[in-house]
Amino acid sequence: MRQDYCEFQERGVEIIALGPDGPNAFKRYWQEESIPFTGCPDIKSQVANRFHQQVNLFKFGRMPAIFVIDKDGRIRYNHYGDSMADIPENTVILKIIDEL
Amino acid sequence: MSIKIDAKDLAPDFELANTKGEIVRLSAYRGKPVVLVLLRGFM
Repeated sequence: MRQDYCEFQERGVEIIALGPDGPNAFKRYWQEESIPFTGCPDIKSQVANRFHQQVNLFKFGRMPAIFVIDKDGRIRYNHYGDSMADIPENTVILKIIDEL
Repeated sequence: MSIKIDAKDLAPDFELANTKGEIVRLSAYRGKPVVLVLLRGFM
């Protein structure tokens, strides 16, 4: 997502990433990796749970999920990963945004 | 099968502090598309 950040920026898209790590770990990771978009520690995954992020105890915890939300606040695309690496390509997400 | 949020549903609004300590509210981004990513954690 970071590699193609400018593609998202050009389309006026805001990227927000939430994660279960604590504020200090989150901040450190964001700084070390120079991640250009918004990152928010989601304490106790309260927000992620409202989006029904899947948890698989046999696969070491939370599975990634991604949503495209349109300018009216509606979810237009969802993807719930069923493994750690199950994340759609940026081109897929960009195409959805172009078709909104 | 577990519960999932359907496409077309209104996204649940939330308010969280970002890594810079600023408050991020999802509904504040109305008017532009948002890609929301739920990470699995770094550890």
